[in-house]
Amino acid sequence: MTVLQAAISGALAGGLYALMAVGLSLTWGMLRVINLTHFGLILVGGYLTFELATNVGINPLLTLVVTVPVLFVAGAALQWAFDRFGLTEFNSLLVSFGLLIATIQVVSNVWSADFQRMSADVNPYATQSLRLGPLVFPAPTLLAFLAALAIVGGAHLWLQRTYPGRALRAFAQDRTIAAAFGIDHVRLGALLGGAAGASAAVAGMLVAVDRPLTPSTPFEWFGIVFAVVILGGIGNTVGTLAAGLLVGALSGVVATVWSPATSPLVIFSLIIVALLVRPRGLFVRRVT
Amino acid sequence: MTLRRGLLGFAALFVALALLPRVREPLDIPVSYLVFLGLIWFWTAQATSWNILSGYSGYFSFGQGAFLAVGAYTTAVLAGRHGLDFFLTIPIGGVLSLLLALGIGALAFRLRSLRGEIFALLTLAVPFVLASLALVNTAIDGGQGIIVRLPSYPEFLGSFQDLVYLLFMTTGLAALAVAFAMQQSRFGWALFAIHDAEEVAEGLGVPTFRHKMIAIGLNGLFGGIAGCIFALQIGFVAVQSVFGLTVPLFVIVMSVLGGRRHWVGPLLGAAVIVTLQDRLSASGFEGWSLVVLGAVLAALVILAPEGLYARLRRRPLPVTAAFVVPFVAFALLGTWGDPLDWAMAGMLAAAVVAFVPSIRWERRSDRRPGPAAAEMSPVPASPVTPAPEAADAVVAALSANRDDDASPDAPIVETFDVTKQFGGVRALQGVSFTVRPGEIVGLVGPNGSGKTTLVGLMSGTLAPTSGDIRVGGVSIVGLPPHRIAHLGVARTYQIPRPFASMTVRDNVAMSLMFGRSGLSLQAARAAAAEHLELVGLTRRADALPSEINLHERQLLEMARAVAQRPRVLFLDEALAGLNPVEIDNAVTVVRRIHESGIAIVVVEHLLRVVNQLATRLVVLEQGRTLAEGDPRVVMREPAVVRAYLGSAADA
Repeated sequence: MTVLQAAISGALAGGLYALMAVGLSLTWGMLRVINLTHFGLILVGGYLTFELATNVGINPLLTLVVTVPVLFVAGAALQWAFDRFGLTEFNSLLVSFGLLIATIQVVSNVWSADFQRMSADVNPYATQSLRLGPLVFPAPTLLAFLAALAIVGGAHLWLQRTYPGRALRAFAQDRTIAAAFGIDHVRLGALLGGAAGASAAVAGMLVAVDRPLTPSTPFEWFGIVFAVVILGGIGNTVGTLAAGLLVGALSGVVATVWSPATSPLVIFSLIIVALLVRPRGLFVRRVT
Repeated sequence: MTLRRGLLGFAALFVALALLPRVREPLDIPVSYLVFLGLIWFWTAQATSWNILSGYSGYFSFGQGAFLAVGAYTTAVLAGRHGLDFFLTIPIGGVLSLLLALGIGALAFRLRSLRGEIFALLTLAVPFVLASLALVNTAIDGGQGIIVRLPSYPEFLGSFQDLVYLLFMTTGLAALAVAFAMQQSRFGWALFAIHDAEEVAEGLGVPTFRHKMIAIGLNGLFGGIAGCIFALQIGFVAVQSVFGLTVPLFVIVMSVLGGRRHWVGPLLGAAVIVTLQDRLSASGFEGWSLVVLGAVLAALVILAPEGLYARLRRRPLPVTAAFVVPFVAFALLGTWGDPLDWAMAGMLAAAVVAFVPSIRWERRSDRRPGPAAAEMSPVPASPVTPAPEAADAVVAALSANRDDDASPDAPIVETFDVTKQFGGVRALQGVSFTVRPGEIVGLVGPNGSGKTTLVGLMSGTLAPTSGDIRVGGVSIVGLPPHRIAHLGVARTYQIPRPFASMTVRDNVAMSLMFGRSGLSLQAARAAAAEHLELVGLTRRADALPSEINLHERQLLEMARAVAQRPRVLFLDEALAGLNPVEIDNAVTVVRRIHESGIAIVVVEHLLRVVNQLATRLVVLEQGRTLAEGDPRVVMREPAVVRAYLGSAADA
């Protein structure tokens, strides 16, 4: 039973990783930008939620009214800048690494390097949980899971059904031809970058609700989030969600059966095996 | 010769720098400067070791922290906990870090689909895994941190700070000497070629896997050794102080700032960044130094990715003056700051002079017609045909060089009933094909008939689904492409793929170094001249590939292939996109290559060219051999006519 509980809690927590990963995966797959600053946006989102909830006294969920537009603009501006300077995929990795470090340091200068946590009276979710028989679902991870479902599902439908979504997919497949058909990739790119920023705001809010914040937390996400991105298939929304749940469940089980410290080792060994066997992600159909 | 002289220079520099602690007191140099210099040497060692892998070969690693940490923890655990002599822990830490590096390399470089981005992300994860291991494992750390005590050492080495300085300086200088020696020899050039076009490098005989492994090994070795000394310097090793992303940030910023293609780059970068860091914290901006560094990295990658050293070379006097003038002015005034402040002011001025004007210059050059426009010109500005007698001499020299170990009539390349399947598509269905010495075989057929697949199989870039391929009687199935190149196979690419950062001459020299001649860098550069003469590119020897037109690039492809000293050369649509004048010139060059004793397989759509050149014709259709024989006879066969012109023409 503990293993089942661990798997379910892990999978729910994996929703948060999927949420963090989906923005990264889409900008990588569609726009050929590896945006490490995405982690910085999540961090800023978390701290903004903390600040608004603590000092203004509003419900953490309501802080999204402020953080989503702010980070949408930040994400769009970032993507516009990547485009403006015509960065290659690899250089975008370097530039955004520099920006990430700068962001983390700014956050640390503003909010100090100590742990910050919303007090229980502004954050009612931290202590709540849902019971189903012997199984327990803590409210923060449940929220994360639901948000991941909604956002990844929404992104998937947006890409499949709407004009901007289709244009983006066309652009991802062949930039030159797409441009010849009149697709304005600068505006579409900024739109997708903004959407990724908005998803970072939601992810940041969920992080702030669930656990204490410290400026160096993005480093803890790196490995597992990129694992989710690569295993899910770069640019593949549904694959990212599935990979997030899978990796989450797996690390939950490993942490319970062995010890929490071995779970990164196991996860990374699996990633390396997956890269050897399925370099284009777990769920991609074989294209010849 | 330059290599030996350079290494002697390093030895002399070592002696001079080692004397600094001796003359420190008589010259009244404060100890803080020694610490400062030691720090520069520490980062020089880290950044140079990183640059050997990531700068030279282009595989960016974010895992430098792992090497530093392995070294630091080796010293901390062995010397701090178990009382082993500190000096013994240095080689142990270096070797452990080396082994870690080789482990990472053995895994990552075997991934067939490894791209630079994936390698970067893999290495990003390594320090986190190790950090979590160290945190829980009480035999390593357990979350407490470890104190490293002062070791006993011979008294003549001076104070503790003198010792640390000497150790850092020795490591940094050794790393620099290795990076220098690599740049002056075949080894570094193999890495440069991997950086520019890895698959091409492998195809012309560079054992790429081995070179990448040595590069990552050196990265780990020096990173680990410097880490051991770092543990001694900080005195207390904890997970937070040795893992983390500031280490990769620092080495990447330093190398990108200084320049990644030259061994001096990381040294320059380390000097600037350490000074900047030091001055920022001295002025109370400690919390902002990472913000500045992050911003500097982002700005550099966008504005000046080639780094300070390249700019310095282009305008050495103004930059030096911009450094010296403020430094001397402040020193003479003596009203503000200490020498490090003056140096900082000088560096900032020098950086402005080095970078700013060239930004403006690049903007202007955007508007000028680039090489793309040059390709459009219908006729090359000046025909590149060499003087015939000079070329004949070259042909004679080349054919005299030929060692024909095999008997003259034994086939060079044979394929036996080869098939190749891509998913559900059967590109080749049982082709048997032979090339004998002295032949020019024309390989023709409609689009999709399997010509390029066959060339890919015979040069080892593709593996057959079934059947056997032999070169000089040796089966090449499963051999890495560089081994096949060494058996005497060379090819050109349909779209020329030169090494973009090397001059035309050095492109050819790569083949002479790593092909069947195996010359040294100096010898290869000298010998490249005659191959350039053969194709008529002598005038363009010092141009970069981006500066020559399509025809010249195709000739460069041929020169590079011939310089491998192959027994057979595959020309894969080497004349595509040329105008009639250029085609005639290229045909002359192909003839000349053939006269030098190389069998040639011409894959071509232009039947006029094939008919002129080929001694034998092989026609492929839908992955099968349709006809074979004398060109004039074969081209009249009804089946061939049908394949080319459709069935209506047959009726």
